[in-house]
Amino acid sequence: MRVIRWLLWLYPAPFRERYGAEMAAVVAGDPLSVRVVIDLLGTAARLRLRQIRQTLRTFTHGRPPGLPSSRKRDEMDTIFQDLRYALRQFARRPGFTAIGVLSLGLAIGGNSLIYGMLDGFVFHPFPYPQPDRLVAIGVTFPKLSAETTYVESISPAEYFDVKRSRSFAQTASFDLGNRNISGGDVPERVFTALLLDDLFPVIGMTPALGRGFTKEELAPNGPPAAIISHRLWQSRFGGDAGIVNRAIRISGRSASIVGVMPPGLLVIGTDLWIPWGGDASSMPRNVRQFNVLARLAPGVSLSQANAELAGIARQVEQAEKAKFAEYDNWQLTATPWAAALLKDVRPAAFVLLGAVGLVLLIACANVTNLFLARASTRHRELAVRLALGAAGWRLTRLLLTESVLLAIAGAAVGLVIAWLGLSGAGALIPGQFQLLGLHAGVNGRVLAWSLALALASGLMVGFIPAIHATRTDPHESLKADSRTGTSRGGRRVRHALVVAELALSVVLLLGAGLLIRSFLNIQRVDRGFDPRGVLTMRLTLPRDRYPGEAAGAFFDHLSERIAALPGVRVVAAASQFPPMSFGDSQFDLEHRQPDGTTLPTALATVATPRFFETLRVSLRAGRFFSATDRLDTPFVAIVNQSFANRYLNGVDPLGQRVRLGSPDRQRTWLTIVGVVADSRNSGVTQPVRPEIYTPVRQQTAWNQLFVLVRTDTAPAALLPLVRQTVSALDSEQPVYMVQTLEDALATASFQQRISTLLLAIFAGVALVLAAIGIYGVMSYAVVARTQEMGVRLAIGARPRDVVWLVLAQVGKLSAFGLALGVGMLIVAGSALEGLLVDVRPMDAPTIIAVALILAVVALVAAWAPAARAARVDPITALRYE
Amino acid sequence: MPPRGNASLPVLHIMVALADGPRHGYAIKQEVERRTEGAIRLGPGTLYEAIQRLEEGGLIEETPADRIAARENGQEAQRRYYQLTDRGWTSLRLELRGLGRLVDAARTNPRLRKGLA
Repeated sequence: MRVIRWLLWLYPAPFRERYGAEMAAVVAGDPLSVRVVIDLLGTAARLRLRQIRQTLRTFTHGRPPGLPSSRKRDEMDTIFQDLRYALRQFARRPGFTAIGVLSLGLAIGGNSLIYGMLDGFVFHPFPYPQPDRLVAIGVTFPKLSAETTYVESISPAEYFDVKRSRSFAQTASFDLGNRNISGGDVPERVFTALLLDDLFPVIGMTPALGRGFTKEELAPNGPPAAIISHRLWQSRFGGDAGIVNRAIRISGRSASIVGVMPPGLLVIGTDLWIPWGGDASSMPRNVRQFNVLARLAPGVSLSQANAELAGIARQVEQAEKAKFAEYDNWQLTATPWAAALLKDVRPAAFVLLGAVGLVLLIACANVTNLFLARASTRHRELAVRLALGAAGWRLTRLLLTESVLLAIAGAAVGLVIAWLGLSGAGALIPGQFQLLGLHAGVNGRVLAWSLALALASGLMVGFIPAIHATRTDPHESLKADSRTGTSRGGRRVRHALVVAELALSVVLLLGAGLLIRSFLNIQRVDRGFDPRGVLTMRLTLPRDRYPGEAAGAFFDHLSERIAALPGVRVVAAASQFPPMSFGDSQFDLEHRQPDGTTLPTALATVATPRFFETLRVSLRAGRFFSATDRLDTPFVAIVNQSFANRYLNGVDPLGQRVRLGSPDRQRTWLTIVGVVADSRNSGVTQPVRPEIYTPVRQQTAWNQLFVLVRTDTAPAALLPLVRQTVSALDSEQPVYMVQTLEDALATASFQQRISTLLLAIFAGVALVLAAIGIYGVMSYAVVARTQEMGVRLAIGARPRDVVWLVLAQVGKLSAFGLALGVGMLIVAGSALEGLLVDVRPMDAPTIIAVALILAVVALVAAWAPAARAARVDPITALRYE
Repeated sequence: MPPRGNASLPVLHIMVALADGPRHGYAIKQEVERRTEGAIRLGPGTLYEAIQRLEEGGLIEETPADRIAARENGQEAQRRYYQLTDRGWTSLRLELRGLGRLVDAARTNPRLRKGLA
């Protein structure tokens, strides 16, 4: 029965609505046979054809019945007349129509695709009401770093400062963490937001099931309650409608589920929301682990809010600077949340949007040229119309109707391309976005954008030919007979268009070339570690079962067990690993008094002894950690080369002493026992940060570590065995964030990867379009100059000379295009700079490569017209004189 | 919908089936199959395409539902029953007359006479 319902969707809607149910009943009366299916398919096709014929008939045989009369009807009549005329023109020249529709379709499709991605990831990434009023509060501490950070960067006291602001209708603050959910077959690790204040009123959404948090639940030590995401509800609890008020265990503690949020609501990828539960008012000002979201109060603009935040920051600076030096000149910034969260994809996204815009311009220039070429063959028709008294604006409208119709057909093709592209893009989108619950697709806005582009490009394409046509002097045109459109003005416009196309293609080619060079540079960068064959995963041990030294001991034990598995070479555990290390700490050195009270920061990583061996980071001086570095032996540290260069320049790093943490805490001196080579620890394209390593077994704070496994075989294949090993040690421990180190690297360079790929595709499309343009213009020029060629051949020119004549012209156009394109890149280069790695926008090898590509393509495109010119038979050509 | 001269064979069969009285789609299909001893088996698509054309041409119409609901018991009452309109009767007679003439004309050909009653 599902088959018939599916088949019925092929039928025109009115038919389906009227007879669908009955037809289903008739099919149900007999067993379903192939004959019935064929009958249903055939009838559907017949009805659809009839429908199309009827629609076309309203265009080609006058207006449909029932239109209003009087002037309005005349108006409608004219529009229908124009449409009918345009359709007939298209039908008469299928080749012209196909090239026009495809060129515009490719270009509009590219635009819709990129716009769709921008819409999904940047403009409207979240399903919240009025998402542009939702802001994230970021902080900048110029004394510590020039960067503004939004995630886990604000202390409760600072949050309460922000809360004083009257610019916000609501504010919320939360900490991020991971929690184990158990009770079920497999324990699960869930990304969790711990709420200091209720988050949902700020976001503007209420639970789909159950209720939000109460005041009591959010208060310190309130009754334990939890709200879960729709996807967790589906995946973990099978969408059980009776979930509300059910108790679950969250990291060993019982809590009651009070609500389920609607689908699509994810906050920075979290699936579980629980009250933070502690007493925030007693926390020190400089323990910064919270995120702050706020909704702008009605009528308050972003700049007003920022002005008020600046005032608050100054007050805090006055009051607290003496105690906390980092408040010197600190800033609080409100930024639309989407922008704050996704700021790093924006430059790439806008560069790509600019690039597809250029492709559209090229396509428009191309189609304009097609129209111009055709207009010259229609010269006489238009001249007759003008001579018979047609008003100039009527002709303009006629021609614009044609071009807009063509562009709309192009938009239809483009939307199909965009739809295919966006569905396929899912595979290219890295976990970062999937985690955030973002997706891109063709929606109303993308549709509207495509239609607007179609309209604009239709008008643009039709504009020059229309002006051209109406400027025609009917007298001259009719007299001049069939020698068509050879006016110098027309030729100049066409050549200018080809030069513009070539110039725009050059810009795209240069952009793609530079990105490819950057990409190659990224691959070539000396990362300082060997990512091949390493599997990484994370484990978090619950504190209540692994107090003190137990966590470190567990990781040591686990490492030994995994190392014994077949195919495993070395195993290590660490709090973070390159290329993406974030955890840093303030430090001070015994031999050097810090300037002022604010301490410098460096990345701080705890690691087991074989960490460096696992990553193949080489030792420059001293030793690695050893199994004897324990709580009861002298405390040691290893630093990287950058640290030694920057902070221990001129002294022997070995034996120096360093302290980690902020000055208000208890700190111990650690003796530097080794210096290791640099590895790219904060992104492959970023400079290496100074880093301090300490042994896992000389601390008790870390219960959450990554396990790194270097294998002889494919690392991913080892995962089941590793899971078994973990489960044998502790069956309640989930293994999560599993990926190979190579995948981690790929994700880190995702932006470059996808921009390079897309820009290369666009440049290719642009080149093809430009080639079509050259071909069209040169073919046309050869036809228009047939007589000239004939004369030349008749008075003794060799065919080779004629070929040269054509190629020289193409060469001149290409050279112009290249020069103009390079000039445009000088202007536009700054937009690209953020994406380039170790390449300047004016890169000679890239420019030379682009010039060569351009020369080859121009030669190929001009070859056929040139050969045709050489084959001109002087006698035939001259006979027409 | 032209009323005479070019109705297709399925259409004619449907109209003849309806000449006995109102029927719903499935009953029409069964009646046609019975009459032609299974030679003509209307597929659901063909059947309702023909019904649509006949309805649009005003040759058949839906029977007012209350009468049928009273006659059937419950389950089948939701099905639509169709009956010939006055125009449909006229048209059917004209079509059959045309067919009759065709058959008469065919009879004058001795080589065809054998196949005809």
